[in-house]
Amino acid sequence: MVNQGILKDTTFHSVIAEYSILRPEAERHKRKITEELLLTALIDAFSILVIFLLMNFSSTGDIIYLEKGMELPKAAKSDVLDLNPVIKIDQGKIFLENKEVNVDELTAALIDLKTKYKEIHPGKEAPVALTIQGDRRLKYEFLNGIVLASSQAGYSDIKFAVVMK
Amino acid sequence: MRKRHRHLDFEVNLIPFIDLLSTCICFLLLTAVWINIGAMNVKQAVGGQAVEESTEKKPTMWVLMRETGDLAIDTKDASIAANLQHLTIPAENGKPNLAKLGEALTQIRSLDARVVTALVQPAAASFYEDIIAIMDEVKRVGFVDLGVAPL
Repeated sequence: MVNQGILKDTTFHSVIAEYSILRPEAERHKRKITEELLLTALIDAFSILVIFLLMNFSSTGDIIYLEKGMELPKAAKSDVLDLNPVIKIDQGKIFLENKEVNVDELTAALIDLKTKYKEIHPGKEAPVALTIQGDRRLKYEFLNGIVLASSQAGYSDIKFAVVMK
Repeated sequence: MRKRHRHLDFEVNLIPFIDLLSTCICFLLLTAVWINIGAMNVKQAVGGQAVEESTEKKPTMWVLMRETGDLAIDTKDASIAANLQHLTIPAENGKPNLAKLGEALTQIRSLDARVVTALVQPAAASFYEDIIAIMDEVKRVGFVDLGVAPL
């Protein structure tokens, strides 16, 4: 059907075939009803997008979840965030691994976390690092209780979550 | 006999390639992290480890944050001039003056490169972002071990 009639000269033209040195077909077709999409530009754009997104890809994104309205402090000389127990301070409340705890009960909760870790991983040392996630406008008098509790529970390495500059 | 024409010019079928790229873009857009979160690693400054008497005292620098935003720098056990052992950096618009802090720390480090431990003692009213900014500046100058002291 396509080889006969008007469609023969008006549809299914290849852009490369039209400009071929060996068998140029550009001269044959005077009129075109349908235009072929130039896919090269589309693939270029897609490739640039993929490269950009791959460069932004981060596997550590799900370690902490930022609540709406929470702003972390910024730092240029920060390290990579590891998977550790997270203490979150949100609207004056303290959350240990997303479970609300009182500051007076924090030491006990952290020791309990260590005990559970040892039960699950027998023969392995419990981690001594924890991550603190808090808003940049917090005052140290609030953080002080957490720093003290973590020290008392044997967590000597404190990692303050920051936004990389 | 009919002569067979072999096409020397051929087109690569780009549709599967576009499909693959579209799938990649969808996946990467869904899993993209637009905010890069890092960690400022510090140690508990006081009462962390048992004190050994035979251990040689390491030169240590304390940064004391005042409620007014002023900073007091005390360097202990370092071989630096006496006038540099106790420094005060006045606040700038109620905030710690990080530029002056950086200059002072660079001077201390240039006189005694063994000073790599810095301990920050914030005041009760010190803002978390100011504490992190000071730690960031201290790290930038070349201090490796950072600690934070409780109130």
